[in-house]
Amino acid sequence: MSEETGFTPLKVMVVDDHPMWRDSVARDLAEAGHQVVATAGDGRTAVRVAAAARPQVAVVDLQLPDISGVEVTRHLAAADPPVRVLVLSASGEQQDVLEAVKAGATGYLLKSAARAEFLDAVARAGAGDAVFTPGLAGLVLGEYRRLAAAPSRADDDAPRLTDRETEVLRLVAKGLTYKEIAKRLVLSHRTVQNHVQNTLGKLQLHNRVELVRYAIEKGLDQE
Amino acid sequence: MGLETALWRAVAVYRWVAFGYAAVLIAANAHKYEHPLGGWAVMAVMAAWSGCTTFAYADPSRRRRPLLAADMAVTTGCLLSTAWVESVWGLTHGMPTLPASWVAAAVLAWAVAGGRRAGVAAAAILAAGNITINVLAGVPPVRGLGSGTFNGIMLLFMAGLVVGHVVKLARDAEARLARAVELEAATRERERLARRIHDSVLQVLAMVQRRGGELGGEAAELGRLAGEQEVALRALIGAGTPAPAGGAEAPADLRALLARHGSTSVTVSAPATPVTLPGHAAREIEAAVAAALDNVRRHCGPDARAWVLLEDDGAGGVTVSVRDDGPGMPPERLARAEAAGRLGVAQSIRGRVRDLGGTVTIVSAPGEGTEIEMVVPAGPVA
Repeated sequence: MSEETGFTPLKVMVVDDHPMWRDSVARDLAEAGHQVVATAGDGRTAVRVAAAARPQVAVVDLQLPDISGVEVTRHLAAADPPVRVLVLSASGEQQDVLEAVKAGATGYLLKSAARAEFLDAVARAGAGDAVFTPGLAGLVLGEYRRLAAAPSRADDDAPRLTDRETEVLRLVAKGLTYKEIAKRLVLSHRTVQNHVQNTLGKLQLHNRVELVRYAIEKGLDQE
Repeated sequence: MGLETALWRAVAVYRWVAFGYAAVLIAANAHKYEHPLGGWAVMAVMAAWSGCTTFAYADPSRRRRPLLAADMAVTTGCLLSTAWVESVWGLTHGMPTLPASWVAAAVLAWAVAGGRRAGVAAAAILAAGNITINVLAGVPPVRGLGSGTFNGIMLLFMAGLVVGHVVKLARDAEARLARAVELEAATRERERLARRIHDSVLQVLAMVQRRGGELGGEAAELGRLAGEQEVALRALIGAGTPAPAGGAEAPADLRALLARHGSTSVTVSAPATPVTLPGHAAREIEAAVAAALDNVRRHCGPDARAWVLLEDDGAGGVTVSVRDDGPGMPPERLARAEAAGRLGVAQSIRGRVRDLGGTVTIVSAPGEGTEIEMVVPAGPVA
């Protein structure tokens, strides 16, 4: 899926509480030429270590013994410069995956994904591209529908998808590759990628706005 | 132990209130007593004993036989002293005993400590004491047992019986509540463990699948089997528990029904929130999806991949798409086959969806696989 033009080595951090997976993922990354700058077995360590190791990409498992992968994602995505978070999950707990993506994850992959698929996803995450699976596209579509249907306090600021974005997202959810989508909709590969990226960006922005609004309300209530 | 403490506190409060009443009676009648000083003395004993028991019963470790027996002894003593203090006139004219209703405190204590039987036993002892007063004073029992005394005895029995019974009920309820809370905590803990174990199992299965695929040969076969189990287990957990077997029209989460069809070759995508439909509609849609997937396996081989997408329009309607990456077919062939009635599976899909008031669109092109889209609007309000 990715362009064959040159390989960019990335500084990667692996966050997983299963040593078996941590080592396996780290080995795959090292063999592929990436630099594994840190590994962590729990969320707090991950957040602390990331500040020093400064990875470009973090591969994060959602099930961690202390704070959740969603929380780790929120911290890493808010770092400066932001760490691109690729969620690598075994259980596929849908609500968690959606929360992680809203908290700023760049992509999501099931652990059963083949090695080539995984490495490709890391490369794309490193380039800042959204990594979508059909399952994630289904979740994101559902979330936009939910936001549109929910009687929001200020419904005008709930994010909406353009018709084209909906079209692209539905095709992703139906298992088409970007290339196939580009061909079917007569668009460039890059345009398809941008549409997908936008659907995620709007959702994350909305989530941040909601968080800030929530924080302000809480703060005002306390005073 | 909130219940025990509250009960004993109530007994203590009763004891003091009853003492207050007895004290007023003694103060009012002392001048008519045979031995007024004796009356005051009994009142002092009652006050002292009320104080003692208030403190003694407050400690759970002292609420045992010795204290209960002592309580009964002091109470009976105060009761019997009536025979010596009260005048014969008073005894024969239905005047209250010196401790009056204060004696019921001992009955309550026994009932709270030992239940119904102990309560009744305490009442019996005090009833016997009431009758003994007349015997001690040399007054014929028949003349001395006025209706007031008789009523008092009955009330003592009632108090012992009812309080003992209610205390037992309350204690049972408290025990049941404690058990329920314990059970709930255990269930939660078990669920937490199950989640962790599931997660570990999924990790291992995913690992076997991944490594097996890389090694090839027999290992690849093992990897494939592990992959199938991984998907099955994930579908089980991810979709939560399917709705319990309610009536045919019990609402069902369509996500859970469709998730069962996920496999290594079939990807099921759905919203994160439940897609609830009337049970019948959900089952019909699931059957249509199953038929479509069956069709994919039959026409495109076991290796063909398929994607199922479930979308919720937010108003009760759903769109379900089933796409495969098989060879597909030219549109005119599709139309011809359909016209000739040779699209058996498609017919059954159309039939089911049409019955739900929905529409089916089938799109196919050579090399682009086949896509079946079912749109089912919100059904009539069931």
